[in-house]
This record gives sequence, structure tokens and C-alpha cells, in this order.
Amino acid sequence: MILETCGESPTDDILPPNSQALWCRINNLIETEIKTTPEPVKKGWFSRGWNFTFSQVGAAAVGIVLISVLLTIVGLRNYFEPTADDFTSRSTASQTTFEKVLSKVGLVETPQQARERRFREQQVAIDYWTKRVALRRAQWDGRMRDAFDRNLYVIDESVNEYNRLLQSNPEDELSGEMLDAVMTEKMNLLRAFSDL
Amino acid sequence: MIRNIKHRPGIIRVAKATISCVLAVTFIFSFGVRDTFGQRRFSRTYPAGKNVRLVLMNRSGMVTVTGWDRNEISISAYLELPAAQIAPQSLTDKIYINLVKDNQGRDVGSVNFEVRVPYEASVDIETTIGNLNVISVRGGLVRARINSDGDITLTNIGSATVAAENVTGNILFDGLIVDDGNYRFSSMQGRITLRIPFTASFRLVATAPSTRSIDLGTLGGGRMRLLSDGRRIVGQNGDGSAIISVTNQRGSIAFLKR
Repeated sequence: MILETCGESPTDDILPPNSQALWCRINNLIETEIKTTPEPVKKGWFSRGWNFTFSQVGAAAVGIVLISVLLTIVGLRNYFEPTADDFTSRSTASQTTFEKVLSKVGLVETPQQARERRFREQQVAIDYWTKRVALRRAQWDGRMRDAFDRNLYVIDESVNEYNRLLQSNPEDELSGEMLDAVMTEKMNLLRAFSDL
Repeated sequence: MIRNIKHRPGIIRVAKATISCVLAVTFIFSFGVRDTFGQRRFSRTYPAGKNVRLVLMNRSGMVTVTGWDRNEISISAYLELPAAQIAPQSLTDKIYINLVKDNQGRDVGSVNFEVRVPYEASVDIETTIGNLNVISVRGGLVRARINSDGDITLTNIGSATVAAENVTGNILFDGLIVDDGNYRFSSMQGRITLRIPFTASFRLVATAPSTRSIDLGTLGGGRMRLLSDGRRIVGQNGDGSAIISVTNQRGSIAFLKR
């Protein structure tokens, strides 16, 4: 049978394989296989494909540190209640440049705003003690009532005077300090008489 | 003799008057010293160490505290009717009397205290109405506060921490200024007078915002300066170790040489 097959086609018609063509065909086949393989997707930050350079990352880190420091300073200053020696008696003239900048931006109160806030807080406390005193007043004798009214009048005169002075000159440090002192004195008077 | 008395009606009248007086006096004293003329008396003595602290909060009335050389605290009180309740508490190194708390809501009369304490005792006294006096005390603290009307007189004081406050009334301090001491005087209306050695070392802040009346006498010389249109004087005497703060909102301040 092999002999019959060999005999059917003349051996002169059988061509040897072309190695060059064969290699080209194999090469094309391989390249085709590579192209069909999907390329892995490049994933950037936040899945949006952002890519940052080292300098950009460095600048961002410095910015974050600066903002954190500023916020910490502002937070600490607002957390600790200012004493009477702080904003209630201070004026704009005694603020540091840094404080002035923060005031303009609105991150901290100006001395005048702090003073007004403290005055409102004291007034709330005074209103509370005034109601307590009103409940006790009927139990006092005449001498006690007269003493209370007389001394309250003296204190209120001072409160009104300092408020007038501060309206005409908000930068008056001494009047701010004295207003705080007389408001405290008023609270002490009300508190003492509310215990009787 | 009997015949002589019968014939002397003047003698009989005198005898009757004498007997009536004796009976009247006996009647008055039969109620005891404690209830004389609408007053009651309270008296108690406590043993105390040299550094004992007296805390006394009166409601209405005068309090006088005087130092002495005994290791005990003697409390005498004269109570106007209706009598207040007095309940002193003897704690460790502290005698505590609070008439405000013990008589809250009750209508009671004034109570005037006379207290004797060791020289080195600390004194912390307060009253709503009335005068406060502290004499010859040199313990760590002397604090006297009147919540309304009353004068404060601190005489011969050698304490390092002194605070005297009232609303309306005068304040007189006569005593030493101890190195590193802290002295605070405050009033709304009245006169504050400080009689101190002008050789003492202290920093001074004196404020009289309404009257601008601050009389330093011969104190300070050129080391004192006026601030805020003369409403405040600040300065230093000596090396400035102690601190003196004087504020009189609507009154005057004066310094006298001791």
C-alpha cells in the first residue's frame, strides 16, 4: 500500500517545506495569540487612574500637616475658656499678628466679641439667680430687703456706666475688665442672698 | 426697838421700796443671763493647734476675731431673738460654723460673734450684713468678705495671704506685707485704707475707675505710673516680691505709712 501511494505521486512533485515561510506563519500565529490576551487594567489612586509624582505627594503631606497644626491651635484655644485676663480685658491693640489674622478669617473671636459673649453668659447666670432671690425675698425682714436693694442698685449703676463707656470706646481695656468684675460681684450678691 | 420702828413710818416706806427693788432684780435675773434684754448667749471653747483654721459664715451681725497666745479657740456669740441655731463643727485643724446653712429659710435675728484664736491661726470669715474685725493674727490666711453692707477692719495682721471684700463700706488694713505674699482688697463703694510699711517689697495694682482717687502718700516715688487716664496706678516698691491688688469701683484708695 505504501508502495502504491508512493507510486501515485511522483517524487519529483513533492516540494520540501519552506522554513522561512513556516517561521513567518508561526510568528504571526504567536502575535495573534498575544493580542487576544486582555491587557491588565492599570489602577490609579481612588480608582480613577490618578497618578502622583513624588513632589506632589510631598507637597500634599506638608499642606495636611500645616492645616492640622492650625486646626489644633484653634481648637485648643476655643476649648479652654479664656480667663478674665484674656479677651475680656484685652483690646485689639494687644493682639498678636497671628491672632489678628485668625480673627479676620473668623477662626477665633476678637477681644470685643469674647467680652460680649462673656457678658451674655454672665447675664444668663444672673437671670437664674435673680429668680432664686425672688422666691426667697418674701422671707427676709425689712433690713435684709433694704440692704439687698441698696447694694444691687450700686452694682447696677456701675454695670450701666461701664456699658456706656464701652459703647463709646470698645477698645477701653480697663472698662472691660471692670465690667467683668462688677458682673461677678452682682452674681455673688444674688447667690449670697438666695441662700438666706 | 420695836416701839421705835412703829413710830417711824419713813423707815417702813424705805424698807418696802428696797424689798420691791430686790424682788424686781431677782425677777429679772431669774431668767438667767442668757435671756437678758431679748438676747441669748452662746459660748464654747475648742482645743486647737497653732495652725488651726477658723471658717465662720454669719448671716447678719458683727464678727470680731482676735489672736491670743493659747492653743484653743473660744467662741462667744450674742444672739438676738428670734435666736439662730449655731452648730459649730470641730474638724481636723478646722472649726467650721455656717449660720447661713444652719438657718436657711428661717427668720432669725442677728448674731454677734467674739472669737479668740491662736496667733498663727488662719481666719476665713464672711457675713451677709455686718462688720468684720480681725486683730493680731499672723497665720497663713486672713479672708474677710461682706456680701453687702459693712466695714472690714484688719489690724496688726502678719499673714501672707489677705483678702478683704465688701460691696458698700470701708476697708482698713493695718499690717505687714510679707515677702511673696498676696494681698487683695476690693470694694464697690467706700474707702479703702492700707497702712503698711513703705519699706516692704511689693508690686502694686491700684484701681479707682470712678473717682480716680488713689492717694499713695510718699510711697513708690518714681516707680509708680498712671494708666488709663489716671484710673489705675501700677508700680513696684523694693524688689516687688509680694503682690497688692486694690480695686474700689466707686470709692477712694489711700496708703498710710506704718
